[in-house]
Amino acid sequence: MREYLAKRIIIAFIVLFIVASLNFTMFQVMWAGDPTALILDPEFTYEQRQMLLRQFGLLDPLHVRYIKYVRNMFTWTFGVSFQSRTPVAQELSWRLPNTILLLGTATIGTIILGIAVGVFAGSRRGSTADVFALGVGLFADGVPTFFVQMIFLLFFSYLVFLWFGFQIFPARHMVSTPASTNPIIYMADVAWHLAQPALSLIVAAFGGWALYVRNLMIDSLTQDYIVTARAKGVSERTLLYRHAFRSILPPISTIITLSIPGIVTGAMITEYIFTWPGIGSWYIAALNSNDYPVVQAVLFIYAVLVILCNFIADLLYGVLDPRIRVGVRR
Amino acid sequence: MASLFSEEKRIVLLRRIRGFWEEFSHNRIGFVGLLLLLAFIGMAVFAPWLTPYDPIAAPRVADGFAMPGWMTIFPQYSDHPRTMEIFPYWEVGNASDFVEIHAGKEVECSFYMTGETETVEISLITAFNYPYSVPPNRFSFSFEWDVSNLTNVGYSSKMFLTAPNGTSTRVWREAYTDVARSLSVLVESSDYWLVKSLGYSDPKAINLAHLIFADPTQGEYRLKLQASFRPEVGAQIAEAEVSLHAFRIFIPGRVHGILGADFAGSDVFSQLIYGSRISLIIGLMAAGIATSIGILVGLVSGYLGGAVDETLMRLVDILLCLPGLPLLLTLVKLFGKNVFFVVIFIALFGWLGLSRTIRSQVLSLRETAFVECAIASGASRAYIMMKHLLPNIVPIALASLVLSVPGGILAEASLSFLGFGDPRVPTWGKMLNYAFGHGAFEEFAWWWALPPGIAITLVCLAFVFMGFAIDEIVNPRLRRRR
Repeated sequence: MREYLAKRIIIAFIVLFIVASLNFTMFQVMWAGDPTALILDPEFTYEQRQMLLRQFGLLDPLHVRYIKYVRNMFTWTFGVSFQSRTPVAQELSWRLPNTILLLGTATIGTIILGIAVGVFAGSRRGSTADVFALGVGLFADGVPTFFVQMIFLLFFSYLVFLWFGFQIFPARHMVSTPASTNPIIYMADVAWHLAQPALSLIVAAFGGWALYVRNLMIDSLTQDYIVTARAKGVSERTLLYRHAFRSILPPISTIITLSIPGIVTGAMITEYIFTWPGIGSWYIAALNSNDYPVVQAVLFIYAVLVILCNFIADLLYGVLDPRIRVGVRR
Repeated sequence: MASLFSEEKRIVLLRRIRGFWEEFSHNRIGFVGLLLLLAFIGMAVFAPWLTPYDPIAAPRVADGFAMPGWMTIFPQYSDHPRTMEIFPYWEVGNASDFVEIHAGKEVECSFYMTGETETVEISLITAFNYPYSVPPNRFSFSFEWDVSNLTNVGYSSKMFLTAPNGTSTRVWREAYTDVARSLSVLVESSDYWLVKSLGYSDPKAINLAHLIFADPTQGEYRLKLQASFRPEVGAQIAEAEVSLHAFRIFIPGRVHGILGADFAGSDVFSQLIYGSRISLIIGLMAAGIATSIGILVGLVSGYLGGAVDETLMRLVDILLCLPGLPLLLTLVKLFGKNVFFVVIFIALFGWLGLSRTIRSQVLSLRETAFVECAIASGASRAYIMMKHLLPNIVPIALASLVLSVPGGILAEASLSFLGFGDPRVPTWGKMLNYAFGHGAFEEFAWWWALPPGIAITLVCLAFVFMGFAIDEIVNPRLRRRR
């Protein structure tokens, strides 16, 4: 067990190192945009431009920059943003919680709703509920999340405003301006702003979960041990939750951890649409303004997240399913 | 072909395809998907015949945010104006002995005077009928005004627009001058300086079109072009040539076409139709490339095993750890916003899962008797992979190919929506991007914001349905219990 863990951790670090190097190659070697272009004034002299480049550390030889870069990444400091000229870590420290708040809410909501609908549909195969679960599942495969969000925006924010003069949910930002100083009102305000992006994410994504859980449930309900349990006279309720649902928990928990990175990177567009001040919208803005310390930092965080989730999924599967103890691998 | 396939093999292949089609056509959901897909392919192929407007040049054909044409069935919109484009026929209003006028669509006037010096005024008149009770939001006149051959004479000109209620507005004026020139004139009702010259102190608050097309809006609107020639005192000969060409009256409609107009007044329907081309091409190409790579890697990795297998599978592991969409955005930013690169990059992230599936399939196929027979009879590795393993993984690959098309289409749509698409091609993602960024929400232009999203959803669903059906046919475990 310990040996396996150590091996996994070493592999994770190697992957992380490769990602970081790739990151460096992309931005510091291949990048074509001029980071000084944003600040540059046409009246700047050559010397002034050189000074700016030196300040950004762009005149150092490549290997020096690489060492600096790797140190920055692994010590979680990330350097200084070209755009705001403040340390990236500083801005990250208030943006990351915003992303976590939005995605945490949305992910938990999606999973709960998806599992509920899936279990319900799976236990009543062929019923209306089942057809509904199938329908929303297929729909979730085809519809772009950002389109669902545009529809939400169009109706809850703009159409209602057009007809009644108020918005059910605000269209943009995370707090009203000016923000309230009363902490309770402030939190309510954030929750009000959070509702629309979170809800739309849930609506766009829960179908896939429902379909997945439904298929697992159907599989599980046709197993022999269910027949045995039923023959023993176990009540339908106990059968469903104690026997059938229990047995599909390992695959569900694995797929939850494995899907988190996709949710996080996909939610970039959500943040962009609702101008939510998280790391996704920051990433897009930074890409557009050639602010690559920020781009590097966010990409690195995403990579860390994916690796972490893969790692947890591996471990979780072993913990939840006694048949696959991690010590004996295949 | 005959050399590639023997007669027997062709018959077997044909029979397999026919059997597959037999099952597929009886699968209701798959059939619906196929019909949907055929509809979109038809749209893509016949795009130029379905719509007269070119979505790339995007000519202005209506007012910004014009509603769909069929909205006029609702009473509150029933009398909204449609686009009017008129090339008027000019008639002589005020004639003069000194001026020879050829009136018509193109007007030529030649002024000639000897001995005398008196100011000569001529005028040209045309009229058009405005049949709607709702005023347009703007109007424009454009024409070529050409004065040449000026000898000892100066001229000035003005144009008036007279509404049915008798109010007359001077929409154009050229001050007295004795310089020959040729002008391309564009008179826009929203022009700040035009409104200012009419004596309004705050032109931004004034909509000239609403002022002119006031009650009663219906009726005959008359345009009058006046020109006056003033010869120099004491000149023996005074002459001038004046011509008016390509006069166009344009009143952009507030309802237009099948799906209205976008913020700039170009046709939404044509953008939607042409968007199907790029989406299908990108989706199919990305899926095709991804599936090919997946098959190749899975086949090689599974059959050869050993160090090759280890290397390839670790590579897959590492690639799976890369964050998809953010990296895609970065790559597009690095290599340029080009459809070709977008396809390649989408494909680069699309083959990972398939290669694992194929590998596991090949691992079990490798142990089968027919492969062992082939090895025993001295077949080369490449021969076994191509002739024995590949045909057996085609069904899985086919299902995967169809099921991975939506991923490609959605990825491209996401890129375009975020503004990282190719600016030169009309795509649904780009339409959504424009709708989102140029006020479709504020104006509640649902006819602009909703159709591209619905189209993306339907195309993806077509492939999802077909993929489900194919999966059910080729994957015996999933076969429906009857």
